Amino acid sequence: MAKALPGYGTIVVPEDRVVPFGAVTPAPVGTQKLFQTSNWRVVRPVRDEEKCTKCLQCYLACPDACWIYKADGETLEWVGDFCKGCQVCIQACPEDGALVAVPELDFEGGVVRLEKPF
Amino acid sequence: MPAFDYKFQQLAPLKSFKSVPEDEQYLPGHRTCAGCGPALNYRLVAKAAGKDTIFIGPTGCMYVANASYLCTPYAVSWIHAQITNAGAVASGIEAAFKIAARKGRNSGPFPNIIVMAGDGGSVDIGLQAMSGMMYRGHKVLFICYDNESYANTGIQVSPMTPYGAATTFTPPGKEIPEGNTLFPKNAPQLVIGGHPAVKYVATTTIAHPLDLMNKVRKALSQPGPTFLHILCPCPKGWLFDEKLTPEMAKLAVETGMWSMYEWQNGTYKYTHVPKKYKPVSDYMKPQGRFAHLKPEHIAKMQAFVDEKIKQVQRPIPVAAAVPTKQLA
Amino acid sequence: MAKESMMTGCRAAAEGAKAAEVEVICSYPIRPYTAIMMELAKMVADGELNAEFIHGEGEHAQVSVVLGASAAGARAYTGSSGVGVTYAMELYSPMAGGRYPVQMTIADRTLDPPGDFGSEHTDAMSTRDQGWLLGWACSPQEVYDNTLMSYRIGEDHRVMLPQMVCQDGYFISHIPDKVILGEMSQVKEFLPPYRPIHPLSLTNPVSHGPQIRPDQGAPMDAMRAQTFLAIPKVIEEATADFARIFGRKYDPFVEQYKLADAEIAFFIMGAHSNTARAAVDRLRKEGVKVGMARLRWVRPWPTHQLAEALGHVKAVGVVETSTSYGGAMRGGNLIHELRASLYDLDDRPLVTSFMGGLGGETIWPADFDYMAGILSGMVKEKRTDRYVYWLGM
Repeated sequence: MAKALPGYGTIVVPEDRVVPFGAVTPAPVGTQKLFQTSNWRVVRPVRDEEKCTKCLQCYLACPDACWIYKADGETLEWVGDFCKGCQVCIQACPEDGALVAVPELDFEGGVVRLEKPF
Repeated sequence: MPAFDYKFQQLAPLKSFKSVPEDEQYLPGHRTCAGCGPALNYRLVAKAAGKDTIFIGPTGCMYVANASYLCTPYAVSWIHAQITNAGAVASGIEAAFKIAARKGRNSGPFPNIIVMAGDGGSVDIGLQAMSGMMYRGHKVLFICYDNESYANTGIQVSPMTPYGAATTFTPPGKEIPEGNTLFPKNAPQLVIGGHPAVKYVATTTIAHPLDLMNKVRKALSQPGPTFLHILCPCPKGWLFDEKLTPEMAKLAVETGMWSMYEWQNGTYKYTHVPKKYKPVSDYMKPQGRFAHLKPEHIAKMQAFVDEKIKQVQRPIPVAAAVPTKQLA
Repeated sequence: MAKESMMTGCRAAAEGAKAAEVEVICSYPIRPYTAIMMELAKMVADGELNAEFIHGEGEHAQVSVVLGASAAGARAYTGSSGVGVTYAMELYSPMAGGRYPVQMTIADRTLDPPGDFGSEHTDAMSTRDQGWLLGWACSPQEVYDNTLMSYRIGEDHRVMLPQMVCQDGYFISHIPDKVILGEMSQVKEFLPPYRPIHPLSLTNPVSHGPQIRPDQGAPMDAMRAQTFLAIPKVIEEATADFARIFGRKYDPFVEQYKLADAEIAFFIMGAHSNTARAAVDRLRKEGVKVGMARLRWVRPWPTHQLAEALGHVKAVGVVETSTSYGGAMRGGNLIHELRASLYDLDDRPLVTSFMGGLGGETIWPADFDYMAGILSGMVKEKRTDRYVYWLGM
């Protein structure tokens, strides 16, 4: 009586298009490498070790955590993978000349986008 | 219900920049604008809260710009909420952790549960859920990161947009020369004025990082709901050079556009009160969103701010908060 | 020995939730489901149920609260009626797509305008595209049973979807009938604890729901659709297991009442099926070869099972207690999918529909006689005259 009715077919999602179950992703560790923003900047901040008083204003002014401070050794290091060149740190620095903006293309490996992101 | 030790965290105040926790919980690698005020806020809040934290992120810049695409910068657990319901989703998470603790399923500390909502998600479309959460006394910190607009959708007016600001829904024109004709809601007063279970309310800005982090830690150490209203200037929406983001926040405080205070147990404590307030035009001149204003509009803004400043001199006493149901 | 007592559908739902040891409950009052929450409030206050009872500020908040609770690992429960169900509409897709298996108990109520406390199915039916499991009970006993079965099915790792467990307002929610509650040992055997896959946690941090690109959205939709292909098997297993443990046997998808040799049949859902069964018995005595197919699950819609059950029938009358203004048949919600289910059959039945019980009014035995008359006429004429009849109008 019941002849062969149509089926629902199969749904095959290609492996490279599979999204995580329920759109739940693991938390990143260290940095979110899937979104590097270093090519947004046209200048990068350069710190003068002599003039710098380690007041840490720059460290707590960066939205992208580009300044890494370690109490052990009192080191302050700039990591450029995510620096967007906003210059907030340079503006926040109270010491004259301790933190200056240098054109990105002055550096070997410096990368600049040809168009503004926005 | 008898008192139960949920192992709420107690976070001691930070004495200096050098003693700030080194670990980042809001990691680099997000699509926020260069010099984004709300992004800096997220970083400072996450640092202050530490690793035993769960964030609720309603739709807004701090959702879309952070979480694109199919990745996030949060080292701690985080969940997206609708722009309408962050307070409610946070309430459910808090309740789940409470019942899990009572049933012996969680041996660790009770998480810091923090809502990171924009102005719209706090006092406009999200107001009802925020109020419900405050009323029910959930142990959640509700943070309003205030960039004074619906920024993520391209800068539209919100109930926190200042009078006279140009947004894409309040463009200045022949008929409406000032752009935005409305004055903003007072978010902390909404919370303080009507929610007896609220434990602590404070205002701060991203230009005061130690103050901000300590207010976060103080809020998280309370046994009930808390609210922080944080000024986060937005270079794209307010039209100023992106390197001046903290400058704009400082100017807001120096002109009286923004007051810095804490409220707890019915008492206000004002800080960072200028000896002499700068005129509001000092704040408005560097921002393109006010460029179209005439002297009569700026005078209206000055009058509004003058009234606000009077509050600082004689804060209105509010009845003390009632004990939460957890304090037996 | 299992004890039988008289209770309303509302109480039965609350007993089901209590047996399932729900952990986070979010309430908000709206007739006629409110009594479910009143019962649960008392159970919590008296210490019979160890749960967080949260007073939501509205139905949108209710569904939001339980979403958060489920994401954080708790078995969560909420409910509503009528416009409360539609007010929470924003959250249904996030809940289903986020794979949070909460349960929402619905006591149907006609949608505004204006206020009408009587039952229509349109409230929950209007959410049927959002990705939840959706089914109807026709007695307080079935409400209790569906509460347990739905958690078991929804929380199965092959499914992980939220469920709406529906009952007609007033007719089921407020009229007491005989209910046998399960023993705790039976419930524990049937329903394992909720095991979330990646809950919000401090020890294993995760991000729930980052923004995606359009090309990531398509596979997300496809993966949700894949789940619905797998669900019928889970429903069959759970229903069989329920019968084994509790001794009450349900057809997993369609209750088939005197259908095997029927020439005409009523296709119906919910409370009015009780009147339909009595009508079938009465009409049979008069020599009419009539049967009834009662739909238990709207999502997933049992396409093949309905074709199997009704394929031999000559005329089917869909009894609709819902509205779909401007729809293809200008009637209710069920007819479109029922017709689609039968379309590919060699000798497909004639199908019409009858709008009955709208606004919460009764469908009378005489109405079923009338419907049977129409259906018999259709068989004689070998044609469908109209897509829809409005009973009494």
